[in-house]
Amino acid sequence: MIASSGFLAKTAALAIKDLRVELRGRDTLPPMVAFAITVTLLLAFAAPDATRATEPSSIPVGTVAFTDVVAAFFWITVLFAGLIGFSRTFEVERDQGAIDSMLLVPVDRSGLFLSKAAANLLFVGIVQLFVLPLFALLFHLELAAGWLTLLLIVVLVDVGFVAVGTLFASVAAHTRSKELMLPILALPALVPLFLAAFELTSDLLGGDGLEAVASRGWFGILIAFDVIFAIASALAFEFVIDA
Amino acid sequence: MSAAPLVSLNGIGVSFGRTAALREVSLDLDEGVTGLFGPNASGKTTLLRVLAGLLRPTSGTVSVLGRPLSAKDEAQRGRIGYVGHSSGLYGRLSVVENLELFARLYGVRGRVPELLERLGLNGRATTPAVDLSAGFRRRAAVARALLHEPDLLLLDEPYANLDDEASELVSLAIMDWRAPGRCAVVATHGAKKVKRYADTGVILQHGRVIRRGTYEATGFTT
Repeated sequence: MIASSGFLAKTAALAIKDLRVELRGRDTLPPMVAFAITVTLLLAFAAPDATRATEPSSIPVGTVAFTDVVAAFFWITVLFAGLIGFSRTFEVERDQGAIDSMLLVPVDRSGLFLSKAAANLLFVGIVQLFVLPLFALLFHLELAAGWLTLLLIVVLVDVGFVAVGTLFASVAAHTRSKELMLPILALPALVPLFLAAFELTSDLLGGDGLEAVASRGWFGILIAFDVIFAIASALAFEFVIDA
Repeated sequence: MSAAPLVSLNGIGVSFGRTAALREVSLDLDEGVTGLFGPNASGKTTLLRVLAGLLRPTSGTVSVLGRPLSAKDEAQRGRIGYVGHSSGLYGRLSVVENLELFARLYGVRGRVPELLERLGLNGRATTPAVDLSAGFRRRAAVARALLHEPDLLLLDEPYANLDDEASELVSLAIMDWRAPGRCAVVATHGAKKVKRYADTGVILQHGRVIRRGTYEATGFTT
């Protein structure tokens, strides 16, 4: 597997190649950002006025806190924007048959996976840079106090999301209807990750500090998900790409 | 000649659904250049993809450069150069960026300017691959395959879309690449162009080898 110091240099060269191709073509990131912003605006119009939302502490039994809804809105927006980008992960390799050249280079398959995952991680991060301030503005969220906890949640969710998304993008790339196959394949696997994301973000937006947020065990689920799926995806990728 | 063949195919069969692309192909190739001929759909491309490890045969075994062919064998992969029907380049990257990327991945230094010169690509070095004419893209693809001086060179129609001048450059590049212990398989309809440097020939028809031997013995003598 990862044997030589050249591994990292080659993986970096592959990731830089993907970013350079994206910078020139702008085929992936702009549609992701445009989708995310459009959905955010639609949700803001559809949602009740945030300024009239009830404080989480005084919510009657049987009703849903506004912060729960906003947390779900945010992560579902990121989820589908991410899937749009992931579905294009291997397009650059399919174009002009570059995948054949790439499969012959003496680089461990996990290097190819890591380079793709790194590019996807950057794309998802950029989407969040656009969407998060927009959510804060449109839904009147106070993010300044818990920004470090939010950053931790975002990073942990993104790592697992990208690991699963990149793997299933490689599976879907073998099929004819890859854009349709990717969500069908990836969404069931992503359920625990996004459940944890909803819960943690909702708690944070509800005013809980890091200690209170962490006490409910969802961080443990995120970390376990990341470790298991990052390793499993990198290992499984080898079999998928050579299939 | 080396004692063991550099490439050995034993009972190779490849099927796509109910269509058999290769049937019981057994072939040993030694050092030198082998021309691979045959009509359309005779199995030339399939055979080259099997040799490159890009297509797993339905039956049979393949040995390349003294070892069973394995996609997991990085060292073996690094000794194979392949040009398929497509260029295998990244369209948004320029010719020189493509070659430098592959040079980095193969751990090769100093070969890019030499190959640009040899294949007449200097004037197109900074052109994105997607903007190249089909002929220049073909030359760039050959340059990429020769970059790491592979021991097994697999070329699928390297003369497609090339004029006489460009064909000559490709032929010269292949002849320069030749060395003891190296083996090339060149699939082409242009038997005349390969005649200059091929040692042996193989003719495929309906997925079977119907003739093989020295270049003259295959019948492509003109």
